[in-house]
Amino acid sequence: MRYTARKILTLLVTMLVVSLLTFAAFDMISGDPAATLLGTQATPEKVEALRTEMGLNRPMLVRYGEWLAGFFTGNLGVSFQYRQPVQALLGPKMLVTLCLSLVSFVLIVVVSLPLGLLSANGKLDGLHTFLNQFCMAVPPFFTGILISWCFGICLRAFVPGDFPGLDRNLGKSLVYLFFAAVSIAIPRVAMTVRMLRSTVISEMNKPYVRTAIARGNDRRQVLWGHVLKNSLVPTVTFLGQTMAEIVAGSIVVEQVFSVPGLGRMLVASISSQDYPVVEAIVVILAFWVVLSGTLADLVNRCIDPRMGGIGK
Amino acid sequence: MKKRNPYLTVGLVMTGILTALIVLGFFWTPYDPNAMAAGPKLTGPSLAHLMGTDSFGRDIFSRVLKGAGTTYGIALCTVAVGAVCGTVLGAVTGYFGGIVDDVLMRLGDVLTAFPSILLALVVISLLGPGKTGNVILALGLVFIPSFARMARGTYAGLREVNYVKSARLMGASSSRILWRHILPNTWSVLLPALTIGFNNAVLAEASMSYLCIGVTPPDASLGYMLSESQGMFMSAPWYALGTGLTLVWMVFGVGLIGEGLQRRGGGEV
Amino acid sequence: MKKRILTLLAAVCLLSAVLSGCGGGSQNGTTGTTDQSTANTQTEGPAARAAAGELNVGIAQDLDSSLDPHKTVKAGTREVMFNVFEGLLKPDASGNLNPAVAESYTVSEDHLLYTFKLRAGVKFHNGQEVTPEDVIWSYQRCGDANAPADIIQVAAFANVEMYQEGDDTVCFQLQEPNNEFASYLTTAVLPKDYTEQDTAPVGTGPFKFVSRTAQESVVLERFDDYWGEKPDLTKVTYKIIENADSILLSLQSGAVDVFAHLTTNQIQQLGDGFHVEEGTMNLVQALYLNNAEKPFDDVRVRQALCYAIDRQQILDLAFDGYGTLLGSSMYPAFSKYFDDELTNYYTYNTEKAKELLTEAGYPNGFDMTITVPSNYQSHMDTAQVIVEQLKAVGINAAIQPVTWESWVQDTYSNRQFQSTVVGVDASNMTARAMLERFVSTASRDFINYNNADYDALFAQAQACYDDGEQTALYRAMEKNLAENAANVYIQDMADFVAVRDGLEGPSFYPIYVLDLSTIHYTK
Repeated sequence: MRYTARKILTLLVTMLVVSLLTFAAFDMISGDPAATLLGTQATPEKVEALRTEMGLNRPMLVRYGEWLAGFFTGNLGVSFQYRQPVQALLGPKMLVTLCLSLVSFVLIVVVSLPLGLLSANGKLDGLHTFLNQFCMAVPPFFTGILISWCFGICLRAFVPGDFPGLDRNLGKSLVYLFFAAVSIAIPRVAMTVRMLRSTVISEMNKPYVRTAIARGNDRRQVLWGHVLKNSLVPTVTFLGQTMAEIVAGSIVVEQVFSVPGLGRMLVASISSQDYPVVEAIVVILAFWVVLSGTLADLVNRCIDPRMGGIGK
Repeated sequence: MKKRNPYLTVGLVMTGILTALIVLGFFWTPYDPNAMAAGPKLTGPSLAHLMGTDSFGRDIFSRVLKGAGTTYGIALCTVAVGAVCGTVLGAVTGYFGGIVDDVLMRLGDVLTAFPSILLALVVISLLGPGKTGNVILALGLVFIPSFARMARGTYAGLREVNYVKSARLMGASSSRILWRHILPNTWSVLLPALTIGFNNAVLAEASMSYLCIGVTPPDASLGYMLSESQGMFMSAPWYALGTGLTLVWMVFGVGLIGEGLQRRGGGEV
Repeated sequence: MKKRILTLLAAVCLLSAVLSGCGGGSQNGTTGTTDQSTANTQTEGPAARAAAGELNVGIAQDLDSSLDPHKTVKAGTREVMFNVFEGLLKPDASGNLNPAVAESYTVSEDHLLYTFKLRAGVKFHNGQEVTPEDVIWSYQRCGDANAPADIIQVAAFANVEMYQEGDDTVCFQLQEPNNEFASYLTTAVLPKDYTEQDTAPVGTGPFKFVSRTAQESVVLERFDDYWGEKPDLTKVTYKIIENADSILLSLQSGAVDVFAHLTTNQIQQLGDGFHVEEGTMNLVQALYLNNAEKPFDDVRVRQALCYAIDRQQILDLAFDGYGTLLGSSMYPAFSKYFDDELTNYYTYNTEKAKELLTEAGYPNGFDMTITVPSNYQSHMDTAQVIVEQLKAVGINAAIQPVTWESWVQDTYSNRQFQSTVVGVDASNMTARAMLERFVSTASRDFINYNNADYDALFAQAQACYDDGEQTALYRAMEKNLAENAANVYIQDMADFVAVRDGLEGPSFYPIYVLDLSTIHYTK
């Protein structure tokens, strides 16, 4: 219990620091959101007046305090660019990114777990390694371009750039997200397979396994009975990291496939200096990352209660 | 040690070929990479234009050579920044420990809470996009924590090893122990990490340029060219293919070297 | 073990509670949804849309922050919202101003008093009837220096006295005659006491605003109480498609029916099932030079650039030969003011360019940077061709791509640049909108053009009531810009609109709009 509490406390403190850093960082950027809004109509007096209206000329810490207070009451401020409450603006986008991440995650798990175990038999080492390295070398956005060409333009399986919308057509949207998820998943599958393979092989070489096999236990039985259980901890940790990396991948892949998710919103909001939105997205994504790690730790502790005492 | 290590060989050959081409590209390219109408517009790969031409009639092969050079250079510089700063930080904190160690490692934790591309995005928008130096700085900063963590682990582990203890007893200064005694023993970990870092840097730079916030013309890098080629995919698919495959080639080659190094260093599969 | 699992569950619940706190309870990102069901049921496929009289239009960028027409900054927003708002007057495709919210108007002998009789029974989209108070409030809002900072000030309204006469008449009393005053009355009339204009705009146009989803779409619907001829289309969805290669796909796959501002390259790949309407973008694309910055403070250098740049080659390389060459800050849609003789004032001549450069003290050329907003592929393309052409006279130009936001701030507002390739358009149908910006005191004179003759000509034109005389003065101003090579004028870009077969009627306006009311399905 203390362990769980400590983990959650660490998580909260990290989030606090992340949000403060982001807030401070964007405060220091030379660009002025007020001037951006006024565009070609900007004059120094107007910009100054609008800054006052938007409350931008107050000290940074005051605004951060306000933001934080708002955060805990479920109010993330109003987007400069869309003049809507940030939470209403980001709600549907978050859902899209969440779906994309989950589809990718499921894809990674479903493909890489059997592949990893299969490849752990130690045969065809060279081929595996070459394939692995190759898959890791393909950047998701390049795969994305190829997939939209092959499945979008040639096979017409989906329309690149025209995301149907989760609320309008769930089935079609999931097909669309599936293709985007494939390009995120390929390098991650390679990494997961590689990790699984090396974990299982190194576990198989441990004395207790050798003894078990030498005693006449079936190799397969040993694998399923002992080795897998002991390989679970590093696997869960790794999948936690994967969860975090998927989000990073989705920032770029959303751009390739024009998926209206958080990543695309983030890139657009950075260039239009829509700080309330940027701040919220950064916090959400960072939270996602930290949460993945924390969850992986907690799951591991359930699997192996010894964990809490030793590592972190 | 007689075991064959094809990864290192293949990786070195692949990277060697690419490096040679890039170096060649600094002095000579078949056509001026920016020259318009170097050939007919939108022609497919041929002997005259190995990777075809784009909608301006620019020779794509020449552009890819230049672009690969930019990407390669940025990745090297980034890894250098990340590895040097990270190793120094990690070495000092790992060896001495204490409060500085705690604070820095917490900070590292916070930094790694950001997905690297997100952190790079934030840093680059702080520094101002489009400039090569800023891209290197942003990415370098992103890579410091991972190197620091690795170096810290190795140094903390070696702090109490006998030969370090005896060096200390013999009155060797701390900097000498860090530099002369421990560093050489970290190579087996550091080298493969460098190749992984290089690949991450290549991919991160390409992603950023793809989002048009990395390096922009006239120093177009492979990522920027990919985003440019996406708009021409229907009329000139060879542009995207040539650029993308070069990128894959680069990362694949270095990845294999890393794999080979790891195995030679006695690491597990 | 059991206890641990419980703890874990509790932790997950706690964390997800925090997570949902971030996301906000509402999963509804659309605003101003007057009718949720119509916004969400989308008719699938072009055939179904045709049967229902619906249309999907593709646009390449998201709209402005605010949809309030008095705060509109981007041309792309004006293009869409043209269908939602009307002023007392409304321009048509040939550039004439027709009465809209007004039924008729008279101008006094001395050109100082404009009297507008409002059309009876004109309604806003929220059901209210337009009153003279609404009209006066709307126009005063644009002329009031103390209005909220993001309202775009219209200088022409500043010293005008506006008052109501009777129940249906609005009068504008001017201090000085202004030939172009009527053009400003195309400014939208809005309901006075309505406060949601930013996110749920309400006007009097043939279409009413339904909803907007950030980075995805804007939905308009036919306004059934429109005073004039009601449009054929019942519902129009603007889909925001930022990805250049998705544009063609969206047309071919049936996701959108009409897409404006395509490139020749895209048009050629369009395939069957579409026809293409060709018009002009109605803007002046030029290499704008900072006249206050060395070496462009020397007229000979600017002229040298004009000689060194082969405009026809730019069209051939980057635009497949389409486009209309220009020689000054005026485009052909302004037929009255456009002077075609200036088009070939400079002809491509590298020898002459080198001579001029030598005279100016740059026999070996110089280095320069061209700032380009990188979201505009056509400007990027043009700049890339220019860089290559300038090499022939020893000028070493480098492109500095910037985001649109930083272009606006650094290049346009702060004038921190050497040269830039962009297109400049007119926000209304007046020559003044094109030419005033180069007066040395104008706040929008981003190229720092400073020419006493030009300023004098502008002052004369403003003081002049006679239309013919004023036109002559405006033409003289254009000539002044050409002679002094204020900028390297390139072209008015060709504008292609892809239209699905079975649809007809998009027409080209002299300003940057797409009028939906004329589009209809042929049966």
